[in-house]
Amino acid sequence: MLTYLLRRIALALTVVLATLVASFLLFFAGPSDPAQAMCPEQRCSTDRLNQIRESLGMNRPLIAQFSEYFTGLFVGRDFQVSGDTVQCSAPCLGLSFLTNRPVSEEIFSRFPATVLLTVGVVVVFLLVGVSTGVLAATVRGTAADRMLVGGSQIFGSIPPYILLLLFALYTTRLYPIFPQAGSLSDGVIQFLPGLIAPWIILGLITATGYTRYTRNSMIETLSMDYVRTARSKGISERKVVGKHALRAALSPVLTILGLDVAALLSGTLITERIFEIDGIGRRALAALGQDDLPVIMGTVLVTAVIVVSMNLIVDIAYSFVDPRVRLS
Amino acid sequence: MSTLPGAAAEIRAEASEPRSDAAPAPSDVRTGRSPGRVAWDRLKKDKVALVCSAIILFFIFVAVFAPLLVSLQSVDPITGTKADVSTTQTDLVDVNGYPIIGMTSAHWLGVEKGLGRDLFARWAYGARPSLVIGFVAAAASTVIGVTLGLLAGYLGGVVDRAISWFIDFMLSLPLLLLVVAVVPIVELRFGDRGSLSAGETSTIRFWVIIAVLVSFGWMGLARLVRGEVKSLREREFVQAARAIGVPTRQVLFREILPNLVGPIIVSASIAVPAYITAEATLSFLGAGLVEPTASWGRTIADAQNSFARYPLWLWPPVLGISLLVLAMSLLGDSIRDAFDPNTRR
Repeated sequence: MLTYLLRRIALALTVVLATLVASFLLFFAGPSDPAQAMCPEQRCSTDRLNQIRESLGMNRPLIAQFSEYFTGLFVGRDFQVSGDTVQCSAPCLGLSFLTNRPVSEEIFSRFPATVLLTVGVVVVFLLVGVSTGVLAATVRGTAADRMLVGGSQIFGSIPPYILLLLFALYTTRLYPIFPQAGSLSDGVIQFLPGLIAPWIILGLITATGYTRYTRNSMIETLSMDYVRTARSKGISERKVVGKHALRAALSPVLTILGLDVAALLSGTLITERIFEIDGIGRRALAALGQDDLPVIMGTVLVTAVIVVSMNLIVDIAYSFVDPRVRLS
Repeated sequence: MSTLPGAAAEIRAEASEPRSDAAPAPSDVRTGRSPGRVAWDRLKKDKVALVCSAIILFFIFVAVFAPLLVSLQSVDPITGTKADVSTTQTDLVDVNGYPIIGMTSAHWLGVEKGLGRDLFARWAYGARPSLVIGFVAAAASTVIGVTLGLLAGYLGGVVDRAISWFIDFMLSLPLLLLVVAVVPIVELRFGDRGSLSAGETSTIRFWVIIAVLVSFGWMGLARLVRGEVKSLREREFVQAARAIGVPTRQVLFREILPNLVGPIIVSASIAVPAYITAEATLSFLGAGLVEPTASWGRTIADAQNSFARYPLWLWPPVLGISLLVLAMSLLGDSIRDAFDPNTRR
């Protein structure tokens, strides 16, 4: 068990390290030139461009830039910005080129909004997905089953961003049934109502998958011998479905849940853009438009760490449940 | 929420597939037909697949004959010309940019706010990039995924570990964010913006999008193929082929690959709508196709701010992409059911 754990953690670390190196090369050694984007004048002279590059620290050798970045991750760094010293404590992901604030601060201050969005979405899709899935499995083969499966299939096949956009346009702007998103700095109570609309629509979109997994997993479990035994002992159908079958049927669903939570935490770009929620996805998109490389790279790193650790947790949890995994 | 086919698709496919299954054998399985043939016969009887194929064919027809369809519109009485895809017609909009005409015989879907370009032409031509990107990207990522999966699964050892690690690495990246970030970077490398015309920039962007989408979208299939190959290579017929000295290449392509046709076709058919969605999403986020190429995703992004006053601008591309992706996804599901009827229970 210990060797499996160590091997799995080592693998995860190499993936994070590779993400770090690859994204650094991509953004800092790539052809993108943030100086051009940051230049206030219409046509920027070469001198001015060089001056901006120097102030960003982009004229030094790549290795030096990388080693500074790397050590900054663990011990923090200090930056000189127009005479002032900006302290960037560990884990330092650099300074935003535009706001001159530490990237870690920029990202982590917006993380609660993304987490709140994710938590609500997970609650909605688990409730809707699992209950419709169980319902469809218990009425398997009937018209209700076909409607649930067909409906979820159709709803889940339309491009998600179209559904998100139409829902946002028609229920929060044209007919303000749901409040529009506010800012988290106004307080959580003021912020939460703005999340109702994205919770519902993103939750329903994600639930379509869970309807199908739960239904399939449930049908499989219901055909098992122990369920037949439970039924033949005279246990009520409600107890058989709710207690005996559901627990076993949910374990494959939980694996996917772990990955989906990671995907939501790192991938609510579109939702945050459409519903104007000030989370990490929206911040990253804004940074992309401004060539704010440290913020983009910081977001890539943070989200990669989230995905990798979520995978790790799911794998380790699974290896406890199913010992065969450890051997492969 | 991932819009790329690579990410969680494969895990989901695994989870939704039944393992121990007590369903009776389908009655239409006869001997003497290949699995592909059996699947094809089943597919032909599937009504959903039939309707979906008709819808897809309709869009292919629109895309191929876009110029012809646009020329069917009559001459506009105000401008005195027939509409085409790129001509700006400011005569047709008022001072606020809103069109002064609605749906007319000269402009079946009205004209664009602001520039006054013909919206039917934009819509018909907009089907082109979606379809081309969908099919080309799906074909390319299938080739890459199958090749890497075959290599990893068959060779094993260091190669397998390297490829598997790379797949894990790619899957842990925030794909959508990276695709949005990488498109302009790759574009900078291949085209100097200053010296190119808008048309050339647009063409470069088109191929860059395909390349980036493919490089972030092959992992699911590679992992699937690797797993299948790993179990196939231990089977007797493969061992027999190796024992009598069949070269590795032939073992791979003659013995193993034909057994993977089903999963590969299924995965490719699911990848096409995923790539179309990804392209439209990119265009919506501002990292997709650029002017003058007509794109549904960008029309939707442009139209969203005037949706309340001018819904005619927003809805045709919304319906176009929804219907096309829906039909393709459902056809993909039907193809999967045809290869493995146990999934529909």
